[in-house]
Amino acid sequence: MRETLNRDTAINLAILALLVATAVGAHLAGNGFTVTLATKAAIFGLAGVGLNLALGYGGLISFGHAAFFGIGGYVTGILASHASTGMPVTSLPFTIMGSNEMLGIWPMAMLAAGLVALVIGALSLRTSGVYFIMVTLAFAQMLYYFAISWPRYGGEDGLSFYVRNSFPGLNTFAPIQYFAICATLLAVALVFTAVVTQSRFGLALQAARQNSQRTIAVGIRPYAIRLTAFVLSGMIVGLAGSLYADLNRFVSPAMLSWHMSGEIMVFVILGGVGRLCGPVAGAAIFILLEHVLGGISDYWQALLGLLLLVIVLFAPGGLIGIVTRRGRHA
Amino acid sequence: MPEPKLNEPILEIRGLRKSFGALVATDDVSLDLRPGEIHALIGPNGAGKSTLIKQIVGEIRPDAGSIRFEGQVIDTLDAAARARLGLARSFQVSSVIPDFTVLQNVMLAVAGASGAVFRFHLPALADRKLTEPALFHIEQAGLAGRHLVPAATLSHGERRKLEIAMALALRPRAFLLDEPMAGMGLEGGRQLTGILAELRNEAPILLVEHDMDAVFALADRISVLVYGRIIATGSVAEIRANPEVRRSYLGEEA
Repeated sequence: MRETLNRDTAINLAILALLVATAVGAHLAGNGFTVTLATKAAIFGLAGVGLNLALGYGGLISFGHAAFFGIGGYVTGILASHASTGMPVTSLPFTIMGSNEMLGIWPMAMLAAGLVALVIGALSLRTSGVYFIMVTLAFAQMLYYFAISWPRYGGEDGLSFYVRNSFPGLNTFAPIQYFAICATLLAVALVFTAVVTQSRFGLALQAARQNSQRTIAVGIRPYAIRLTAFVLSGMIVGLAGSLYADLNRFVSPAMLSWHMSGEIMVFVILGGVGRLCGPVAGAAIFILLEHVLGGISDYWQALLGLLLLVIVLFAPGGLIGIVTRRGRHA
Repeated sequence: MPEPKLNEPILEIRGLRKSFGALVATDDVSLDLRPGEIHALIGPNGAGKSTLIKQIVGEIRPDAGSIRFEGQVIDTLDAAARARLGLARSFQVSSVIPDFTVLQNVMLAVAGASGAVFRFHLPALADRKLTEPALFHIEQAGLAGRHLVPAATLSHGERRKLEIAMALALRPRAFLLDEPMAGMGLEGGRQLTGILAELRNEAPILLVEHDMDAVFALADRISVLVYGRIIATGSVAEIRANPEVRRSYLGEEA
């Protein structure tokens, strides 16, 4: 048991090392574009890590996590645009000023995503199976159409902000420095996930996924456990959305669309459901395919679909599962 | 009444009624589980034993009637709350967490009983408040040395023992065991009978069982459920001699 644990840890560290090495190598070679790609992989990986807490460990197949990604993005965009105009975001019930400080923006993005996750989770977790998938999808689509039809922050066109938000002591415009920020947050989220999933709470969450009736019979209410996991998951994805907005200095309703929800799911499934670093590997492969195959053919997503099909059918443990040759984590 | 508290039933079921459409699954059932006893509930298939158990544990709501547990009316409590009061249940079909080890399964029950599940920091496997009681109950249930085995790979009999270890971890005030002998071989059944005989020292047992040898060997009292009604309650000898019981149930076996 200890051996497989160490092996998992080794693989997790190898994935992160590969990501960092890619970014640092590209930086030294003066290839800023590849650094940005690695940053995107780290951000998508973070979103996948967030979803994995609900989907992988909790068995909550949410098809609406774009809602949290988009909210994290919009909070960032809105705060940044108000910071540049100096107008408050709102003055009721209390004044919220704009901000271009990442350290101020992240907690706001996570708080907003967490609150929305609380509402969506509280309602959707009363259902299960395909209904849960549909209800989460419906909530995210509601927000998507709201963003499209809300002209104040760009509506369908999205919202640009021209200056990337700042971080004390760093130049966030330098691709490698922004990568360092994103990769650090990814590492923090991974440690957080590792700790939480091994805790009492994690034990209960994973038990509820496997056998809800048994979990109730030992005195644990799956609903409260799942809702907590759903909110934590939404907060992590919200943070990823904030970073993604800052990467592009642009947010648009696309961040809220079901297409985005599907992509985050693909990261998790590709890399390995319920694997700590699975979503990071999944996101990295996704971006690699997007840029290698995407350069060859516009139909690269057909190949992605084929890969996904093969993984789901023959390697349900995902890419990490293939390497460790085990089905999934307990 | 010299010791009123001691003789008061742990579990007191009064006038329980449940119907599914035209089918009356539980028909005015009253039943007591007294301290220290093994009370067997027998009856032919379809008599409504499982439906009755589900109402006691809080999985389904009765149409009428009331259940008291240690003097407290528990009608409005959900299944998780009843479990935390010490109403420990085993399932007809073994129900464990398959990907967890034996130890993790029992730790889950210890955590559930403690009521403190929202702990996010400490690794559960390093939490001696979970592991120590869990290991103790694993040994108690006869699974010593098997704690690192994944539950999915346990034999049928071992899984039964794991369920008992999980029930013990709830610091039970009463056991509800739904056909623990089902699917056990002769030797396994004998062993389990021995374990159940010891379990009664922990808490009284309401035992739903088809295996008549086990019932007659273990039970202090027997209630016979037929078509949702309890047609007789009494000692082993009384039930064996009861003509109605012989006709409607035991007669089939003889």
